[in-house]
Amino acid sequence: MEVLEALGVGFVHVFAPTNLAALFVGLLLGLLVAVLPGLTLVMGVVLALPFTYSMHVTPAIILLTAMYVAGTYAGAWTSILFHVPGEPIDVPMLWDGHAMARKGEAAKALGWTLSAALVGGLAAATVMVALAQPVARIALTFSTPEYFAIIFFGLASVVSLGGASLANALISLCAGLLIATVGVDDTYGAHRFTFGVPILSDGIDYLVVMVGAFGLGEVFVRMEQRFRSLPLQSVGDASTRLPSLREAAAVKGTYARGTLLGILIGLVPGAGATVASFLSYGVEAQYGRRKALMGSGIPEGIVAPQTAATASVGGAMIPLMTMGIPGSGATAIILGAFLLHGLQPGPQVFETSREIVYAVFASLFVGVVGMCVIGFFAARYLVKVLELPEVIVSAYVVMCCILGAFAARNNITDVWLIVVFGVVGYLCERFRFPITPMVLGVILGPLAETNFMTTMISFGNDWTVFFTRPISGTIMVIALLTIVYPIFRQLRKRAT
Amino acid sequence: MRRALVRVLPYALVGSLAAWLFYAATQIDFHRRPGTLGPDVWPKLVLGLMLAICVYEIVRVLVSPQWRGGAAGVLQEMVERTEQAHPDAAEPAAPKSLPLLLGGIALTAVYVWLIQRLGFVLATAPYVFAFIALGGYRRWLVNAVTSVLGTLAMMFFFMKVVYVSLPIGAEPFAQVTIALMRLMGIR
Repeated sequence: MEVLEALGVGFVHVFAPTNLAALFVGLLLGLLVAVLPGLTLVMGVVLALPFTYSMHVTPAIILLTAMYVAGTYAGAWTSILFHVPGEPIDVPMLWDGHAMARKGEAAKALGWTLSAALVGGLAAATVMVALAQPVARIALTFSTPEYFAIIFFGLASVVSLGGASLANALISLCAGLLIATVGVDDTYGAHRFTFGVPILSDGIDYLVVMVGAFGLGEVFVRMEQRFRSLPLQSVGDASTRLPSLREAAAVKGTYARGTLLGILIGLVPGAGATVASFLSYGVEAQYGRRKALMGSGIPEGIVAPQTAATASVGGAMIPLMTMGIPGSGATAIILGAFLLHGLQPGPQVFETSREIVYAVFASLFVGVVGMCVIGFFAARYLVKVLELPEVIVSAYVVMCCILGAFAARNNITDVWLIVVFGVVGYLCERFRFPITPMVLGVILGPLAETNFMTTMISFGNDWTVFFTRPISGTIMVIALLTIVYPIFRQLRKRAT
Repeated sequence: MRRALVRVLPYALVGSLAAWLFYAATQIDFHRRPGTLGPDVWPKLVLGLMLAICVYEIVRVLVSPQWRGGAAGVLQEMVERTEQAHPDAAEPAAPKSLPLLLGGIALTAVYVWLIQRLGFVLATAPYVFAFIALGGYRRWLVNAVTSVLGTLAMMFFFMKVVYVSLPIGAEPFAQVTIALMRLMGIR
């Protein structure tokens, strides 16, 4: 009851003109970013961040969350119509979505996408609201060893679940944790890795790392590939025809499986919408009622990845809001936006800033419906941006990156640093070191260090406390298992 | 063997950097308090882990150069399995151009250097124009219009709407920016 009341107040806040405008702009930008060539969802959210500096925290987070959710939807349009996935999330949409469009049913395919995004988004938002408060209550009882264990688990799962190479992901994470230590230490006032450079005393802002590695780095990668765009050939117009209730009821199992999988994957740090989309398609292809027909242009092949992708947003918001642990690149940036506005997500915000939390939650409901309405009426106009030359878009991406870095502290050194991190981001891509662990390391590093050091001080430098307390011990063991398990599997695979 | 050495190179470089930073961490100057851990402990833990991973990877590659696959994320493997079932979705490998990449990085570095001297507007419009031209776009008029109008729009948005004070540059270039600001009603 208390939750519903808070959510009701949240809805009132969302419908305030400023918040509603932020939501609309966020949805529109998210849809455009998902469609635009060379712009990824994470990059889009990073680029929007500087525009939120002068906003109040509520519209700022609403805008970024709206971009995040809309970004999981619109890329499917280009997959279905042009066989060009707007995002990696939308690759599975090529297999059945585009196949359906080739059969002359493009409008129907877009309709299935819309219905899947709507069902997945709303169901995940409901689960998010239902779980957030109880999880936050449990988290409130935690002490520093438990917090450290949770952060450790978050970082461990990011490297061990999602990465193509465990070693590279761990190195990337360590690099992030190390970048976070640069500057003057809070407790002792000692200079760490400043090498006599005055500006480094203030530390390296996580924003600089995010904007440089995600934004500029990606532009450099695309530049090396000569901004090569695939030739566009539409197989239908972008009008949308929704499935009838009877048609939708026939694939209710797929909606349910996709939604559940999306929420679960979203909950796990390190596995975002892309993993959810692929896994859901894989599960449908293995266990679905019409698994033999998957890939031939059937609704199940569209509904499964789309419900999971959109549902993963609600799932990912739970650890972010209740424990301050971002599970993906996009939620890391949203966490960054919270911190920029002086608010640390975690169980305390449910007490201190309840209105903001529930306004963000309510915005997810309104955002999912809004994105589907915009998609229904405006998809045909929005896909036109695909015709924009990628090099022009990229030039403005660089400009936004540089402005974003400068605007944070009005400091030109930060601009130099984003160029450096842009090159680092390019090198990471080139040598297959994932960027997300590095960014998460920079954001969560100070939190991890503070909780580690406080625990050490409180428990007389006894590190076994992380393992002897029941909750932290359990979490630490699970975290260690998530790292050890891939190594064990590799050794076993090698032995056979 | 040569291939193995190439594969080892990134880990050797990162490992060397980590070793050097570990040494730097031992030199952190602070007043030690008895019974408490110092500010050097956390970085040393992180660097120690980083070094251990690099050494492990170097040994792994050198001991069995034929074995290419390292331990991968469980979910990532599942994703790859789904993807492999649909090889048609794989994008063809794009041709790469190192000169273009280096040109882009150099151009961006020059832009950052110029932005302090010429100010945002005078540095950005030529930069955007040059970037687009470097990227191979040859419709000069569209490029020029896009560069100038886009820069002015960004200036207006950031300075008038979001209240971010962008660099105006050194004299005499600052006067141009100030004149433009007046024209746009930016105070």
